[in-house]
Amino acid sequence: MVKEIERAGLPVVHMCTVVPISLTVGANRIVPTVAIPHPLGNPAMGHDEEKQLRRRLVERALTAMTTEVEGQTVFEEK
Amino acid sequence: MRLELGRIRIKDVQFGPATKVEDGVLYVDRAAIEAIVREDERIADVTVELAKPGEEVRIIPVKDVIEPRVKVEGAGGVFPGMVSKVETVGDGRTHVLSGAAVVTCGKVVGFQEGIIDMTGPGADYTPFSKLNNVVVVCEPIAGLPQHEHEVAIRMAGLKVAAYLGEAGRDIEPDEVDVYECLPLLEQVNAYPDLPKVVYVYMLQSQGLLHDTYVYGVDAKKILPTLIYPTEVMDGAIVSGNCVSACDKNTTYHHQNSPVIHDLLARHGRDINFIGVVITNENVTLADKERSSNFASKLVEMLGAEGAVVSEEGFGNPDADLIMNCVKLEKKGIKTVLVTDEYAGRDGASQSLADANPLANAVVTAGNANEVVNLPPMKKVIGHPEAANIIAGGWDGSLASDGSITAELQVITGATNELGFNKLSAREA
Repeated sequence: MVKEIERAGLPVVHMCTVVPISLTVGANRIVPTVAIPHPLGNPAMGHDEEKQLRRRLVERALTAMTTEVEGQTVFEEK
Repeated sequence: MRLELGRIRIKDVQFGPATKVEDGVLYVDRAAIEAIVREDERIADVTVELAKPGEEVRIIPVKDVIEPRVKVEGAGGVFPGMVSKVETVGDGRTHVLSGAAVVTCGKVVGFQEGIIDMTGPGADYTPFSKLNNVVVVCEPIAGLPQHEHEVAIRMAGLKVAAYLGEAGRDIEPDEVDVYECLPLLEQVNAYPDLPKVVYVYMLQSQGLLHDTYVYGVDAKKILPTLIYPTEVMDGAIVSGNCVSACDKNTTYHHQNSPVIHDLLARHGRDINFIGVVITNENVTLADKERSSNFASKLVEMLGAEGAVVSEEGFGNPDADLIMNCVKLEKKGIKTVLVTDEYAGRDGASQSLADANPLANAVVTAGNANEVVNLPPMKKVIGHPEAANIIAGGWDGSLASDGSITAELQVITGATNELGFNKLSAREA
């Protein structure tokens, strides 16, 4: 999916938990996420804390989307 | 550790007024088993059925398969930390009702439980069609949460297996195999000229009904550690998982791991099998990195020159498998991986979710996506409609005549990644 959309000319951010698999399949912009059963959330957190986590992940993805990359790049949390 | 495994060959199973073994026949007191299972208030209803090799019987949905064993000498009892006290096992003498098994069945817990056919084409794919099975069909009370449902059925199976195993306590085994595993330094010095090999035993631990227990501890909570092969034979590792039926390790697989038995058979001949490292398959990247770091470091500390690594399940655990492989290879330790494949129905797709050129010695246990057709059976134990929802099946897998068309995934043990099956492949 990631590769086919990019082939059509649109930049793609792959948000995923297992970064090595994303690297193997050839994604160029990768944002590491929380865990396989809940990539974009964390049921162990309270409501407000989880909302902040989700916002940070989406903002990081948008940053990745608008950043020029030379080859495969993992956008770790700063 | 020195374990004598006394095998009592069971050639038939029948119901009887008292549970006993006589002339190779296991007689089963049905009411006694039902009473054991009913001790758990979470189980509303239980029935016991028998399924023997060659009978036109289908068992669906299967949760676990367990071999009845009993500890007759040495510390502890079978399934320590689960049904026996958490004593270290693996030493002394254990009797095995070889050729018999407990199969747990009943309303589907998750969606990844399996099928055992006792005859026909499906029977060829599962080793459990060759056993005299005591099938325990457990139905939960209404509204029981899935994870508690899984616990209740897991414990029921282990308790029934321990109960049946007791019937072999005073029986003279047909054969006795002796397994001796020495402390590391002695083991290394025993065969100084042979290459030192360690087994890296990956345990399914993704949670959400994909779990394994070691002496009662949920394997997702362990750091990789060492275990004697004989501890595994005494039931130190039990299955708590409903992960795809074809490539989960049932408790029976752990008790009879071909990887461990084959390594022991070649120990002292062409290899020096110095130890087993158990590790897990967790769901965050940090856990995967930490566990593969620890597992590879332990193998290095043991001074191994080679490692056999077996996976359980598929998908993201492929990443754990490749991490273990790459980290070991980079330490100069040669690896052989044992896995299965999800290569699409035509076998043409990439087999694993992750790959690396260092994974250059791989044993496959078959392609789980292959489609099989299972003809109707005269008798179905359990719930045939589960075929439409278990992994590998689809809405419509169960036809009106009772036949099932589904991916090989649905058959318990079909592509077992300990090699406890018939499928594999070799380079042409």
